[in-house]
Amino acid sequence: MAEQALATAALLIPVVPFVAFAVILLGGLLPKERGFGGATSTVLSTASAGVSFALSVYVLLRVQATDASFVAVRTAWVEATGAPDLHFGVLVDPLSALMAVIVSLVAFLVHVFSKYYMNDEGENGLPRYYGAMALFTGSMLAFVFSSNLLMSFIFFELVGLCSYLLIGFWYETPSAASAAKKAFLVTRFGDYFFLVGVAGVFAAFGTFAYHGDGSLFDTAASAIEGNVSVLGVGAEMAVTALALLVLGGVIGKSAQFPLHTWLPDAMEGPTPVSALIHAATMVAAGVYLVARLFEFYALSPTALLVVAYVGGFTALFAATMALVMDDIKQVLAYSTISQYGYMMLALGAGGYTAAVFHLTNHAFFKALLFLGAGSVIIATHHKQDMWELGGLRRRMPVTYWTFLAGALALAGIAPFSGFWSKDEALLAVLRNAVNEPLLWVPFGLGLVAVVVTGFYTFRMVALTFHGEPRSEEAREAEEGGFAVYTPLVALGALAVFAGFINAVPLGIHALKTFLGGETFAEYAAETVGYVGEFEPSTALSVTALALAVAGSVAAFRLYAGADEPLRHRDGATARVLEKKYYVDAFQVWLAEDVTYGLSKRLSLFDIDILDGVVNGTSRVSLGSGEAVRRIQTGVVSHYAAVIALGVVGLVALVGLVGGWF
Amino acid sequence: MLPSSYYVFLSAFVFSVGLYGVLTRTNAVVILMCVELMLNAGNLNLIAFATHHGGVAGIAGQTFTLFVLAVAAAEVAVGLGIFILVYRRYGTVDVRKPRLMRW
Repeated sequence: MAEQALATAALLIPVVPFVAFAVILLGGLLPKERGFGGATSTVLSTASAGVSFALSVYVLLRVQATDASFVAVRTAWVEATGAPDLHFGVLVDPLSALMAVIVSLVAFLVHVFSKYYMNDEGENGLPRYYGAMALFTGSMLAFVFSSNLLMSFIFFELVGLCSYLLIGFWYETPSAASAAKKAFLVTRFGDYFFLVGVAGVFAAFGTFAYHGDGSLFDTAASAIEGNVSVLGVGAEMAVTALALLVLGGVIGKSAQFPLHTWLPDAMEGPTPVSALIHAATMVAAGVYLVARLFEFYALSPTALLVVAYVGGFTALFAATMALVMDDIKQVLAYSTISQYGYMMLALGAGGYTAAVFHLTNHAFFKALLFLGAGSVIIATHHKQDMWELGGLRRRMPVTYWTFLAGALALAGIAPFSGFWSKDEALLAVLRNAVNEPLLWVPFGLGLVAVVVTGFYTFRMVALTFHGEPRSEEAREAEEGGFAVYTPLVALGALAVFAGFINAVPLGIHALKTFLGGETFAEYAAETVGYVGEFEPSTALSVTALALAVAGSVAAFRLYAGADEPLRHRDGATARVLEKKYYVDAFQVWLAEDVTYGLSKRLSLFDIDILDGVVNGTSRVSLGSGEAVRRIQTGVVSHYAAVIALGVVGLVALVGLVGGWF
Repeated sequence: MLPSSYYVFLSAFVFSVGLYGVLTRTNAVVILMCVELMLNAGNLNLIAFATHHGGVAGIAGQTFTLFVLAVAAAEVAVGLGIFILVYRRYGTVDVRKPRLMRW
């Protein structure tokens, strides 16, 4: 009954955090003195993440041992007659097992770190914080195990809700409240397209299922093969359109251009939340969805190309903005956008394994960097401006060394994890660009972004940890204790070693074998003619490494001894970058001037015509009533006269009709 | 025996006198008397045609007349009651004075 145990474990992984959330929520109903304090909710939420992590590891090991891929639990949610039922299911396969481990591990470490960042700082509202964290973890894990598109959508939205709650944790601060709203609205804008896509998929193929006979992918593939007309257009066109609609949700969640604007603002939330959002939950959901739907996207060359272009462009676009940010968390935010761009680029080029590999590595090193930044922020009493930090490496050695490991991984310097996965992502694009010349453009963008990534990463490291301290707080920084070291060291180790699970240039393909990357590559080769198997390219690895090192060294030399003067930039390029390419301003303009202006104009129709008809009707009634009521004189004789006249009139009428005259 | 048309003309005349009085007089008691005239004009018609037709129809006509008489008596009782109240309130039974029930 090994499979039974596996199924139960997989089901419990998302359920445990949900239960923790429910208990914390109900605890709030108890009278204050008997209700849950911060301590109880901390323990509950952290323990639930820990239990989920332990179960995830078990599931991962079992899946690896048995090569399992099945829907563990499947319950009908809506039973329909004459139409397919809607189901909730737990899909256990290598991708979900791997992702569950990433999510629960990062969530657990973030919980541990939160004890230092939130509890020890004496924050208020801890039950709210930990309740939302538990719900966040649970929703993401449920999203990961979703066995169909509709269920994915539901938990996708729940993840968005939780990020709203957590980004706006300090809701008394206007900027935090507004950032939370922005995150919610911008991602929701993308989700509109997603929802239309979900409905469209059901209308077109009559199923949401990811797995088994008659799954979404099989149905779509056979529709294309049979050249069936779907939704009034050719099957391939329908698949392209639906894939692009779903991509709308992905672009919103994974903060790809042009819906990336919410992510830097989301830095208003507590730093552990940022770590969770960026590394494992919210932002990862988008890319995970594309990976999950890879077999669907791979049916349409156009959709794949769009994914690659969005990814390649975003990778460079966001990286350039990270160059000029002064806030340490802002740099990390833009680097997240850029790194997810790489994953999208890899997926668009058919590099399924590369994308999942980079997703894994990124989760670890980005969580590490955020927790490192959080450690710095607490140690310096909420100093986030890097120009007010500096020289912290002597005061905070553990943070420095682990942060450095994360930075090397982010910059893509061998042998740290980021190098291997970024290299593989670029390799997939390079090999396929031979067949598909349009891929050269995103490849070029991705390659240039490598040097930019190295530069901003080491600008950040140099400004924060090297040079002389530039403020009183930085001079007197004190590193935290156990709750800081544990997550940092654990993630630091992963940032160093995680890359070796699929070091292609060294001939290691463990992750590829585990994920069945071969199958996906062959699938893409069959459907859109991508190169299924490709040789590693030493030239590419060396070039990428050289670029990364060049960028890093240049930044380090420029900023390690940097002083105030370097800060002042007044070139045109710097201005454009600091204004974030005016995308934010453009969106505000679009919302405030264009949409609001247009709406105001359109509302005139409502005010003048619709309300006019309604008001006109009432005015006519009122006016005629005013006129007619004058006959009510109150004098009996008048009434009698009217009645008499009426009788005369009636008699005359009857006479006329009856022909008396 | 006189032809029925005589009675009809008499009835029409009495009715018109009554109607004229109702419309022109201002004293409520006089108006009530005029209403009595109109009712009795109707009764006259009923009796005339009852006699003209005879038989069952005749009995029905006479019964109607009796009903009308009873209703008229009741109406007078109610009307006079109202007038007494009006008189107490306004000190007159001029129908132009009570003008509360108006716009």
